[in-house]
Amino acid sequence: MRSRSVVSMAAVAVVGALTLTGCGSSSSGGGGLKADSGSGGGSKTYTIAFEGPLSGDNAQLGINEVNGVELAIEQANADKSLGFKLKLLKADDVGDPAKAPAAAATVIQDTNVMGVVGPSFSGATQAVGGKYGDAGIAIVNPSASNGELQDQGFKTWHRVIPNDYAEGPAAADWLAKSVKKVIVVSDKSAYGDGVAGAVSKELKAKGVTVIEQAADATATKDYGPIAQTVKSSGAEALFYAGYDAQGAQFAKALKAVDYTGVRMSGNGVKSDVFTKGAGDAGNGWYFSCGCADATTSSTAKDFAAAYKAKFNTDPSTYSPEAYDAANIVIQAIKTAKGKGSVTRSSVNDAVSAIDYKGITGDIKFGSNGDLPEGSGVVNLYQDENGTIKSLGDITKAAAAK
Amino acid sequence: MHEFLNYVVLGLTRGSMYALIALGYTLVYGVLQLINFAHSEVFMSGAFGSYLVVNAVTHDGAHPAWYGVIGILVLGLGSGAAVGAAVAYGLERVAYRPLRRRGAPKLAFLISAIGASFFLSQLAGKLFNRLNNNDFPTYFNVNHHVVAVAGVTVSLVQAIIIVSALVMMLFLDTMVNRTKLGSSIRAVAEDAPTAALMGIDIDKTIARTFIIGGALAGAAGFLFGTAYFFSNTMGFIPGVKAFAAAVLGGIGNIRGAMLGGMLLGLIEVLLPTFPWWHATGLIGIQWTDVVAFLILVLILVLRPTGLLGEKLGRAA
Amino acid sequence: MSTYTDVTKGGGQSRRSDAAEARIALAKRFAGCMFLAFVLALMIGTQEGTQDDFGYAFRKSVFAPRIGIFALIGVAVFLAVTFWPRIVPYLSRAGVRPLAAGALTVVVSFTLLNWTDSTDLNNGKFGGLRPAAAQTGGIDPVARLFFGSAFSLTPWLLLLIVVALVAAAIRFEDSSTLGYVGGGLAIVFGIWAQYAQSAVRSFLDYPDHSTGAGVALLGFVTIGVSGIVVARSHGKADSGGFFQRVYDWRPGMPLVALGAVVGLVGLFSAAWFSPTDRNAGIGLTSTMFHGTGLSGFSAAYLAWLAYVLFFATLILAGAASYLRHHLLGWVAAGLGVVSLLVTLYVMHDFSGLAAQSKFDGATGAWDNLGTGGWMLCGALTVLAGAGYLVARHEQVEVPDAAPGVSSDAALAAGSKLGPALLVVIIASALFFPPTATQFWQTVLVTEIGIYVLLAIGLNVVVGWAGLLDLGFIAFYAIGSYTTAYLTGRLPVKPPSFLELTPLAAIPFAIVICLVAGVLLGAPTLRLRGDYLAIVTLGFGEIIRVVANNSTPVTNGSRGAFNIPPPEIHIGPLDIKWGDNVLGYWYLLLVFVVIVVLLFNRLEHSRLGRAWAAIREDEVAAQATGINTVRVKLLAFAIGASTSGVAGVYFASQIGSFTPENFILNNSILVVAYVVFGGMGSLPGAMAGAAVLTWLPEFLRDQVPAEDRQMWIGAVILLMMIFRPAGLIPARRRRAELGGLDKKDSSETTAVPAGEGM
Repeated sequence: MRSRSVVSMAAVAVVGALTLTGCGSSSSGGGGLKADSGSGGGSKTYTIAFEGPLSGDNAQLGINEVNGVELAIEQANADKSLGFKLKLLKADDVGDPAKAPAAAATVIQDTNVMGVVGPSFSGATQAVGGKYGDAGIAIVNPSASNGELQDQGFKTWHRVIPNDYAEGPAAADWLAKSVKKVIVVSDKSAYGDGVAGAVSKELKAKGVTVIEQAADATATKDYGPIAQTVKSSGAEALFYAGYDAQGAQFAKALKAVDYTGVRMSGNGVKSDVFTKGAGDAGNGWYFSCGCADATTSSTAKDFAAAYKAKFNTDPSTYSPEAYDAANIVIQAIKTAKGKGSVTRSSVNDAVSAIDYKGITGDIKFGSNGDLPEGSGVVNLYQDENGTIKSLGDITKAAAAK
Repeated sequence: MHEFLNYVVLGLTRGSMYALIALGYTLVYGVLQLINFAHSEVFMSGAFGSYLVVNAVTHDGAHPAWYGVIGILVLGLGSGAAVGAAVAYGLERVAYRPLRRRGAPKLAFLISAIGASFFLSQLAGKLFNRLNNNDFPTYFNVNHHVVAVAGVTVSLVQAIIIVSALVMMLFLDTMVNRTKLGSSIRAVAEDAPTAALMGIDIDKTIARTFIIGGALAGAAGFLFGTAYFFSNTMGFIPGVKAFAAAVLGGIGNIRGAMLGGMLLGLIEVLLPTFPWWHATGLIGIQWTDVVAFLILVLILVLRPTGLLGEKLGRAA
Repeated sequence: MSTYTDVTKGGGQSRRSDAAEARIALAKRFAGCMFLAFVLALMIGTQEGTQDDFGYAFRKSVFAPRIGIFALIGVAVFLAVTFWPRIVPYLSRAGVRPLAAGALTVVVSFTLLNWTDSTDLNNGKFGGLRPAAAQTGGIDPVARLFFGSAFSLTPWLLLLIVVALVAAAIRFEDSSTLGYVGGGLAIVFGIWAQYAQSAVRSFLDYPDHSTGAGVALLGFVTIGVSGIVVARSHGKADSGGFFQRVYDWRPGMPLVALGAVVGLVGLFSAAWFSPTDRNAGIGLTSTMFHGTGLSGFSAAYLAWLAYVLFFATLILAGAASYLRHHLLGWVAAGLGVVSLLVTLYVMHDFSGLAAQSKFDGATGAWDNLGTGGWMLCGALTVLAGAGYLVARHEQVEVPDAAPGVSSDAALAAGSKLGPALLVVIIASALFFPPTATQFWQTVLVTEIGIYVLLAIGLNVVVGWAGLLDLGFIAFYAIGSYTTAYLTGRLPVKPPSFLELTPLAAIPFAIVICLVAGVLLGAPTLRLRGDYLAIVTLGFGEIIRVVANNSTPVTNGSRGAFNIPPPEIHIGPLDIKWGDNVLGYWYLLLVFVVIVVLLFNRLEHSRLGRAWAAIREDEVAAQATGINTVRVKLLAFAIGASTSGVAGVYFASQIGSFTPENFILNNSILVVAYVVFGGMGSLPGAMAGAAVLTWLPEFLRDQVPAEDRQMWIGAVILLMMIFRPAGLIPARRRRAELGGLDKKDSSETTAVPAGEGM
């Protein structure tokens, strides 16, 4: 009886609270004073949103990205000549299409949001791309690489990375120069499957024997068996389609079984997290990446140093892309401000027309919001004793030994 | 043939880890007839705890002499076990004992353990980090081949895992069967009220059971960290697999857990990598879980209480 | 404490004196409390270390002056626990519990809830609003005073004053004056809070859905009620029965009061029409639409009919409740329903017109409506419900006693708050969501609603039949993939005659899930308890991994894209769900209501009793002639098909999914929801799912996003420790666990009471 009455009271209280929420909207008929909200005053504050996984199993990728965005915003705010302040709104979608709509709603209902960096994953993007489009918020996507997203008719779609169909074939062509049998290992993420599929298809077209294998990144803790399989397969080369942390595990396991073939991977693995994690096991790995050479451009070096200084950890997969994406939004707000009004639609127009020299390359968007086909050069990189060295344009690079 | 044997070694390594964790599930199940869902986080805590200790003693790049390596191994296993035991004891006090006092329904225990599991794993993430590639300092060459005969290789780390797991299991088996503590655990498992009448302190025995299981899982955490990596979410999947292994062997049965763990490790590695699959191209390592669970279901349908049956008492 | 330990402690082993024992126990408790404080310090501490420095967060959290605060919390908890026995007698006094609840509500409103929607002010929380409001010129001084002067202490001071007054009234039992003064002041302060916030809001001119002031008002009013209860009770009556007695005295009266408050606020203080930058009350709306071609009826409604209808319904319902007159009750109910329909018609009418003429940037019918209309709808529903309850109320021989007079007969008649609560729930389910922010609407349809449906399904399997299913999400996956297949969004296309709209996929999903449930169940249901758990877990994983790996069939890890939204074309009915989130809510509501009605029948049917029997003791059930395998299979299949329906809804609402939506963790979460809410209790399972899916979204603004799961874990753990039977326990289990507040049971068994698992 006692517990019952407590429950009833609680229920009444909750229902009451909900009902009282309604008291929110006032009847002030639009006659109130416009105030500059009393908090500091002065320059206007705009918000850049980030949507991606900040908790859950995929959180690391989202944290890599949000750090990049945070750094970009911090650097912009330090710039006194900007004329406005920037804020970051973090919308955690757990990387899950089911949670993405709610995360997007927090972004959309904040009228200060001028652009969104994200969503990190293709599935989540698919679920909310249309909603951002309807709200007129520019999407500048740093990592959702599915090759069909640009054709979904999202009104404000922009993506700073080449999609799965751009990077994979270049890597496959390069591999096909010197090897006749390749084992392609996917990590069973949407990204990994996309790249693995593109690589396999191109390799087969070039008459290379392909063995397709997969090691689910979320379930595999022990890369011993897959490494042994790679060795036993007798393939001359391995292509791993996945992310850096698991790539490092895989590299170590491959070293443990003394696999001596060509080892290659894509953008997802090319990071300091891989080189540090794999140690000398990563020595000799090749990476194909549609990104500018980080060792020669000074902005990229500065970025890596500032990132390390702020977050005490090395930039990882998609941190530079997210940094670039955030800077694109910032520059677009600047442009819009220069032209007169900063609104969601004026910022989106500015993003579409942008010509931005970022740390991952020169970024201009095509009419479908993607980087125009063939615009980016896919470069070849190699891990040499723990540092990633550029070997130049992959189409001109010498074949693997 | 040598490939097959290499896979067997891989399977045994994985199986040893499963067995060590499974023992914790089975011990707790024996006395409480409950699945300790938070046991996977005990495993995780052991890895973090032993890392903190080992990292304080040695640093990256240091390759001490063989006695140094043994010292570090003992230290790592010991600290992992100590942290695991402490966390398991804490779990018993916080997530289990209050519920036992209230006579809560069985599922409430499961849910409180799940709550504790979320809590521990995320607290570790908050305190340390949420990266999924933390490495132990490289204090010895893990890939050094202890055995290399006709293409069959056993690396140092594999040897260490298999040997220390076997030693610990032998130790546990002796303890449960030969010592006074062991017999009190068996007595509680057999019939708690009667055991109480005979003068056994049930609360203490249960706490000690948690401590023993926790120590084994903590030590397994150290071994896992040394061999692969460690992270705040590392426990979940090995935990589920070890639970499956315990059920496979007959939950509540200590030797069953050992057998189940080893068997599951071998099944997981051997079946999806069988040579003939490559020819068909149909089945690869990504099917590991499907194969493992199908075999598990099959065995359970044929033998509904696992391979060796249920009773903890029967292990004697 | 087990009997065994009692025995030894009484026996030879303990030579320690009782005093020493007590000291040790005290020391242990102190250590426990300090440990708790330590863990809390870590939980609220600095965020994570790094790759190179694992001790960073720990050092920041522990080796800093802030640890002192947590130590103090630990000491406070220790003192509270130690002196609990001395506090207990006070707790049963009238007014104490509402006082505590009210004070807590006010504190929560000060610290957690939004006081403005403006995100500039520290997420719109009170702490950010207060200094801004206190310093900005041009705001009404009365409002400014509330937000405080230089030290910003006013709101806390107000709270302290009323709590002190009411507490004093409780302490000095004779003082009814103190009670009235404290209670009255509390209500005044509550209104003051509301006024202050609305003044600031109109100053900021920001479209607003903030909850802080409303919750503060609620808290203050609760304190006020408690003060009045104290004053009336003279230290005798138990406050728990206060509402009960009011209800027994005049059933329907509380509903009428609620309806009156909500309706008045809706009519006189809330906005009816609020496109982007306008918040027009009903009066202004009427003027705005004057001469815009709005139909005469709607114009009349906005001008005067709304008031007439509302007050007529209010008076009728009030009179019916007061006189307990059946016929009047029917009339009130009828008028309420008619007024409700009229209100909805008018809202549709003018919002549609506004959209047609692009009035003030209006976007569409049903869009741009303020909260006022919806509140009036809610109020009318509640009033109609009150009338209906009065009409159906049987003349129980309850002495016509005034509140405050103890009437054991009334209490013994059992809780009759149920129907009234149901009316309130129906009204808020129908008309609360439109007034919520877009974020909460989205959460409601994409998370809370779906998991409520799943929990209802799993409750059949776990709660009623007692089968632990850790792979429940598999059926949800099957439902989703069925939808994707039948709408042609998988690489494998259905034969053309089978290509369907999502809603038409429901029967197929149900059938396929039924079959899958039976296929899984048939070989495995002779397994018991934890063996079944691992087999179902395995099944769930198999389904997910197969879906993830069979790229040519399921599109693998990229999942299904572009699943069309649901639509209905039957005869004159032609509905197509689109971007408006609210539409999905009502669709979901239909599903939930159907399922709840069906399952409610099922629980008390022959089958439901058979489930209870096998849950309690399978062998005995078999002995009484129950075909246990068939009954268990039915439970599995029924649960599975509910899950399948949820899958269909999910797939077509979100429009895309990947195999990662069906991971093991989700299966475990659904089990947690069911048990958290109260295993075997339909309202419990629903409440559990709702609370635990709501919580992470609520925590979004309160704790770092990364830490949300940690807090949820802690909440689940605490719930199970202090209320193992769940939020709303099933009746049977409540009886079983008896006094939940009862301390240590004297059981010696280590093994918990069997659940047939």
